[in-house]
Amino acid sequence: MNTTKLPAAERSPFALRLERINRLIGRTIAWLTLVMVLVTVVVVVQRYWFANGSIRLQESITFMHAAVFMLAAAYTLAAGDHVRVDIYYSTMQPRAKAIVDIAGTLCLLMPFCAFLIWSSWDYVGTSWQIEETSQESSGLPYPFPAVLKSFMPLAAALLFLQGIVILLDCYRVLAHRNSAASETRQ
Amino acid sequence: MAWIAFLMFGVVVLVLLAGYPVAFVLAGTALLFALVGSLAGVFDPVFLETMPNRIYGIMNNGTLIAVPLFVFMGVTLERARIAEDLLETLSMLMGRLRAGLGIAVVAVGTLMAASTGIVGATVITMGLLSLPTMLRRGYDPGVATGTITAAGTLGQIIPPSIILVLLGDVLASAYQQAQLNNGIFRPATVSVGDLFVGALIPGLMLVGLYIIYLLLTAWLRPATMPAWRDDAAALPMAALVPRVLAALLPALLLIFAVLGSIILGVATPTEAAGVGALGALVLAIVRRQMTMSRLGEIARSTTRFTSMVFLILVGASMFSLVFRGYGGDTAIQELLTGLPGGKVTALIVVMAVLFLMGFVLDFIEIIFIVVPIVGPVLLAMDVDPVWLGIMIAINLQTSFLTPPFGFALFYLRGVAPPSVRTKDIYMGVIPFILIQLLALALVAVWPQLATWLPSQL
Repeated sequence: MNTTKLPAAERSPFALRLERINRLIGRTIAWLTLVMVLVTVVVVVQRYWFANGSIRLQESITFMHAAVFMLAAAYTLAAGDHVRVDIYYSTMQPRAKAIVDIAGTLCLLMPFCAFLIWSSWDYVGTSWQIEETSQESSGLPYPFPAVLKSFMPLAAALLFLQGIVILLDCYRVLAHRNSAASETRQ
Repeated sequence: MAWIAFLMFGVVVLVLLAGYPVAFVLAGTALLFALVGSLAGVFDPVFLETMPNRIYGIMNNGTLIAVPLFVFMGVTLERARIAEDLLETLSMLMGRLRAGLGIAVVAVGTLMAASTGIVGATVITMGLLSLPTMLRRGYDPGVATGTITAAGTLGQIIPPSIILVLLGDVLASAYQQAQLNNGIFRPATVSVGDLFVGALIPGLMLVGLYIIYLLLTAWLRPATMPAWRDDAAALPMAALVPRVLAALLPALLLIFAVLGSIILGVATPTEAAGVGALGALVLAIVRRQMTMSRLGEIARSTTRFTSMVFLILVGASMFSLVFRGYGGDTAIQELLTGLPGGKVTALIVVMAVLFLMGFVLDFIEIIFIVVPIVGPVLLAMDVDPVWLGIMIAINLQTSFLTPPFGFALFYLRGVAPPSVRTKDIYMGVIPFILIQLLALALVAVWPQLATWLPSQL
């Protein structure tokens, strides 16, 4: 299922391939939610029964949590699960929806992704350069904090890719309708 | 340049109505305003440079880790089909009474609220299961749909609610900022746990008000919610009660364990959520409702919901950054503090604005956009943070119910049979919106409803 509800056969092979990357990443990263549950329980057991919580384990939960919502953002977009105010959108014809999605992707999504990559570049680079470690002395070692920060441009890049998929799909919707219309005219 | 901030707010609302995903509308529109403003020399681009650090703050926010864990727990319980069992057995038990089915729906809504807290899931489950039964038994479509949508939104206020986690986090930083602004450098704190405890009495009060309304309706207009006299199909009491208990007890146990440990301060909401999620998994396995593929579905649902919520948070963070860059928050502060009548008027104005925004936007978006802006101002005027939080929660619960864009109404429309007119759904929910406003007024007049229990613990 994609945002345009275009059958797979009518989507461009390139769009399908791009989307497959995001789906693969999303479906893989999703298992981290289960790991988060289990690690949280381990931390609780440690804290209450052995009276020592591992800071590393706790920080690993934060790490997984950030990985989940950042890296799966594009997958969520592909699944059409980023919430919309769809009072008008839900009643629109596929053509109108395609126009909204093209405009939104070009004017809102892609510029924001580009901005995020650009603005976080030095921020992330510095973290790698100074081999940043956790602020807690027994926290996660290098390179975990740097990897965590790198999720920012990475998530933005994946969202940008999904933006390309949306553009290709919506273009197909528009082109398809145009050719269908011209065929009936002939 | 504060007028540009308000212009941006208006533009965001208009762009949102076009239907592009909320998270990117917030972020993208704010970015465009910042870029144009920078070029025109009316916006300091230095503001934009803090964005990566703000997002990193969201990624590192320890409080908000409770969100995916609670979602995991809720989705698991949903897939374990506990609500279905409960609804079925409880309806059989209570369906013989006038208004009985309606009260069963409110009861199950309350329990689901305390376990899943996800509006969509609750409304859809009850819409699929209870609505056809209610209609078949001759319930008025308006009364039936109103009850289901309203009961479905109880998950917003009855802890452990995901919304309260988000609200608690936003309020905590607003509270801190308010005290710093007032020159208090060792600020008191307010936690998600405080909000959970504070929400308990108002939440149960709301349930009580719903039930009173149903009883009154059944008494005044008996034809709208008849009793069910189809005794041939009904199971004897002796067979029914154990089934109700079997469906009820495990879920109740889990809820009490999760809520109890938070309320008694034994566990943080995050810890309770993690243990609760594991408990839900065990429950689902015991009930033979768990397979590898279903586990994968649960993980993916959790992931998409979590990503949706946090991306809105990222987008709203960008929005409020640019809003502040244009001096919008100072303008709001001057506006609210300059009102005649002090904090009472300020509160009424904010509550009215929140209620009106609820017609277009959803709970989560309003919390992320509005509370960081008005929260510090109100809290600096010596408004109790728990009281404020509970009032916001009760108020915004209506955002799911108010036409034209109430989520609960949409979800129910999606699963309701075509014989139910959309107008029935819209009309049926109005009494419940009024009840909601009554509850808001009660908590406003008696803040102790929200603040007494937290002060006892």
